[in-house]
Amino acid sequence: MAQSNFDRRRINGPEESFQPTFEDDDDETRWKPGNPRRGRGARDIRPIFLTAGLINQANGSAYIETEKTKIACAVYGPRQSKSTTYNEKGRLNVEVKFSPFSCTRRRVPIRDAEDRSVAVQIQQALVPAVRLELLPKSTIDIFITIIENDGIEGCIAAGSVAASAALADAGIEMLGLVASCSAAVVGKEIWLDPTEEEGKASSGTLILAGMPALGTITSVWQSGSMTPADGIKCMEACQERYTDIHAVIAQSLLENAQNNT
Amino acid sequence: MAAAAASATPSGSNSAEQDALKALTFQRLHPRTYLERFLAENVRPDGRYFDEWRDISVNVGSISTADGSALVRLGSTTVVCGVKAEIAEPELDRPKDGFLVPNLDLPAICSPKFKPGPPTDEAQVLSDRLNEVLVSSGVVPTSSLCIEPGKAVWVLYVDATCINYDGNAFDATLLAMVAALKNTTLPKATYDEDRHRTVCSRKIREPLQIGRLPTSYSFGIFDGTHVLADPTSFEEPLLDTTVSVVVDNNGGLISVMQLGLGIVGGDDVLSKCIDAAKDCWDKGRRDVYGAS
Repeated sequence: MAQSNFDRRRINGPEESFQPTFEDDDDETRWKPGNPRRGRGARDIRPIFLTAGLINQANGSAYIETEKTKIACAVYGPRQSKSTTYNEKGRLNVEVKFSPFSCTRRRVPIRDAEDRSVAVQIQQALVPAVRLELLPKSTIDIFITIIENDGIEGCIAAGSVAASAALADAGIEMLGLVASCSAAVVGKEIWLDPTEEEGKASSGTLILAGMPALGTITSVWQSGSMTPADGIKCMEACQERYTDIHAVIAQSLLENAQNNT
Repeated sequence: MAAAAASATPSGSNSAEQDALKALTFQRLHPRTYLERFLAENVRPDGRYFDEWRDISVNVGSISTADGSALVRLGSTTVVCGVKAEIAEPELDRPKDGFLVPNLDLPAICSPKFKPGPPTDEAQVLSDRLNEVLVSSGVVPTSSLCIEPGKAVWVLYVDATCINYDGNAFDATLLAMVAALKNTTLPKATYDEDRHRTVCSRKIREPLQIGRLPTSYSFGIFDGTHVLADPTSFEEPLLDTTVSVVVDNNGGLISVMQLGLGIVGGDDVLSKCIDAAKDCWDKGRRDVYGAS
């Protein structure tokens, strides 16, 4: 149910409109618990397509596509801080926006709690990596637009990857590139990079972000229920993969730099 | 970054880089004079002639969560548009009409001049103009969106987001919205009288009934002397008049919008702009929405 309160800044539709309900189709092909994963192995992540420099208005930008998740990210900065109080270290401000057509149910364009929680998670993943002490009185603005969403954990992981590529494209000094990977506990198995369907079928998910170049972790978010042993296994599984993700980011930045000279 | 006058050589020879930096600084500090110097040489800062249009690329159907989608690149200006269909009760005085709700969002990601927050004046004005054009051109007749008169109709939310703003968002967005509508398929819906609800089929999808296909051509008048077609984001703030001409897929005129005086050297340029728009349509954009 999409209830739109009259927004005087936008063209409005009818007061109330509903998502179409479909007839109960007994979909034989739908996944059931106990079945093996469809389309890839339990520890395979979706192929990543990452390009930098698509948004020429911004200081740095990146666009990432992992099968059905599409995210565009732009970095503006360092620019002058709005606040008058002196801040010794620069500020990293992340804003996430879901397009209205990005999820199965249409999202109202007003920013809500989910946007902010995704933004906070991405910011936590990036802040340890950026050398903010070199940028006093400045703010770095990272804007992320989610064009298509297939799994919120995948969005957060892909968003962090795109943001770190965009920061590198903007020439902002960092300690290392941030790579991020998500994992889900489905039944007794651990599956990496769950899609929306797989995330819903799982009992718990975990998103790990870190700098493979330095061998450190910058953020761990766990949600749902899993045993601590499973949690550790998820983290190890993510760590195995994120060296590959780091290689993808580095490769795309290198190609972008070579194309520009 | 905005186009620089000189390009740096691959080996980065110092004087070429210095020239490029000087040009960029001059562009930032004295944009008007910078543009005047180019126009005096009969060319624009990005190398185009006054009546030259940027290349367009249209990519449809890439977003699976939307019922129809399109990605349009007009030069560097990039607009993504998605159509989501929902079901609602029709208005009491129009029981057989569905709803078409277009909106354009200019978020902070697309340009440094937009700040995060509610839609700016520019976005609101553009949304309103797009709504007018879509309604007056009859792209999707609202009577075709009826499921059951008086009980259930389709509501098409056509949401466009600008990802990169390099001027002329209106043309790019209209292109994206119409391409997305042309790409949209709706599930077959039947109204269940007994349970008073609509049920849709997952398997059968039907395309929308499409009327005319409008395309838009925008011009700007600089300093009462030059008419520039398809202004970029650098040229836009320096223009005193903008003219937008909307033409349909048969070369007929749908609407003309003019903001400002519109006089160049004492002559009214409106008719010249209309002719230029029809000419551009004829030469390049007959099939921009795909062979129909």
